[in-house]
Amino acid sequence: MTRRLIASPAPWVGLLAAIALLLPLAISSPFAIDVFIRVLLFAFIGVAWNLMGGYAKQLSLGHAAYFGLGAYTSTILLIRFGISPWIGIVAGGMVAMLASLPIGALCFRLRGPYFAIATIATAQVLMLLFLKFRDFAWGAEGTTLPNLGDAPLMMQFDSKLAYYYLALALLAMGLAITWCIERSWMGYYLVAVGEDEDAAEAIGVDTLRIKRQIYLISAFLTALAGTFYVQYIYFIDPNVAFSFNISVEAALVSIVGGIGTLWGPVIGTVLLEATSALLQSWLGSGHGGVQLTVYSLILMAVILWRPAGLIGILTDAGARFAPASLAHAKEAPLDG
Amino acid sequence: MLATLAQAVINGLLIGGIYALVSIGVTLIFGVVKIVNFAQGEFVMIGMYISFFLANRFGIDPLASLLISMPVLFVIGVLLQHFLIRRVLALGDMPQIFLTFALSLLLMNVGLLMFTANYRTVQTAYSEAAIHICVAVGVSLALAGAAGSLLMPFYPAYPMVGQVFVLMAFVAVVLGTLGNVTGALIASLMMGVAESLGVQFVGADSGLIVVFVMLLATLALRPSGLFGGWSR
Repeated sequence: MTRRLIASPAPWVGLLAAIALLLPLAISSPFAIDVFIRVLLFAFIGVAWNLMGGYAKQLSLGHAAYFGLGAYTSTILLIRFGISPWIGIVAGGMVAMLASLPIGALCFRLRGPYFAIATIATAQVLMLLFLKFRDFAWGAEGTTLPNLGDAPLMMQFDSKLAYYYLALALLAMGLAITWCIERSWMGYYLVAVGEDEDAAEAIGVDTLRIKRQIYLISAFLTALAGTFYVQYIYFIDPNVAFSFNISVEAALVSIVGGIGTLWGPVIGTVLLEATSALLQSWLGSGHGGVQLTVYSLILMAVILWRPAGLIGILTDAGARFAPASLAHAKEAPLDG
Repeated sequence: MLATLAQAVINGLLIGGIYALVSIGVTLIFGVVKIVNFAQGEFVMIGMYISFFLANRFGIDPLASLLISMPVLFVIGVLLQHFLIRRVLALGDMPQIFLTFALSLLLMNVGLLMFTANYRTVQTAYSEAAIHICVAVGVSLALAGAAGSLLMPFYPAYPMVGQVFVLMAFVAVVLGTLGNVTGALIASLMMGVAESLGVQFVGADSGLIVVFVMLLATLALRPSGLFGGWSR
């Protein structure tokens, strides 16, 4: 069903891109821009998670490990060695890839819920280690990043717009990578692993290898988001960088939107972040529990009534409004 | 030195016993419906609050309130099975994991909203439905309730407290070979002692690291857990 949404609508993607590019010029309130940046960033993290959790159905709840490694790598390079975060962001991705190898080797021995649990544990171990390493990485107090003013070469900007477009670029890259993988041999192998790992193994898919490879890509992308985030908020500590909420939100946006689909994480993030922004403007901040209460209710509702995610509603609506070809109309019931 | 060691081991066995109640609960649900209950820790939290309020309002000893927290959580377990778990039994890993995970998030944050603002008790309707799976889920939650009541004399109750215990329970379940009740019990006690020794001899924040290192080492060396063959 998603393939259909993507195959035909080059114009739709163009329109979406135009809206995304022009949006911050039309709506310039700092609060709105901040919400947009969060949407783009978490959609990007969701896209990275979705490669692994959606297509291959390896339900990780520990992606904060890579987010944190990316954040810490670039920050350590910046503060200790004065190296630009533009280099740091790539270095962070590399570190995350390296870390994903042993973590994957351990966790891939487990399946389903036990894989999820093991990934939680790895992210927690990293957080505890960074809490403990006071000399190396500032320990529990964390550190603020030096504010260099408007320094594009150091990934610091006066204007929030720059961060917006940077986040947009990251998301576009994530979507492009997913798009390429989706239609390559790798995409089919991943779906095979996700459907039934034993069956995939039986027909000759090297499941361990394919899982390892997609984990590398997913970890790399997640780490980029980590660097971006600390450059945006100018602060890092283990609780921010390895926050369990990052792991949760990465999975949540994908599931609500529709796992294993190109646009699912984007749709999920828009819905959840819009809800959260509305709640914030109604109730004001300081109701810490409200947002996650609402998130969890949305998640339960989606799982009970639309386990394939909300993207199904959009594609159904699309099929109703645009019965473009006979083939399309014929296939629509199968998709439902 | 020897006295400190003995004290650390005893503390470890004490907390390990609590982990065991939680992890046996997880194992029990897994045994009948093949679903891992990510919300098990939140039921410990509920058990703790029940004991807290009974102690606060009526001066009931937390250990005596076991007699109340266990049946209450048994009923919650039966309702949980009837209204939620039953609906995802036939579905795959994703809905099964994230339904109980969402429940965990929900209970945690409702707890946060209710108990940080002003302390209030929850009214729970009693019912006596008893079908086999319901009984298993009920007993499992009753164990969680027991854990909560037993913890109350020496552990603070707060809405996120469940996270500590569910994580430990999961580690115990993986260590002790999933689906194996005895394994979960022994692994829980081992973890309690390891954590306590870590705190005593390495440093206050090292308890968890010791336990997680145990988990990762076990996964590396004996992926099927300490007690038996590989089961999916």
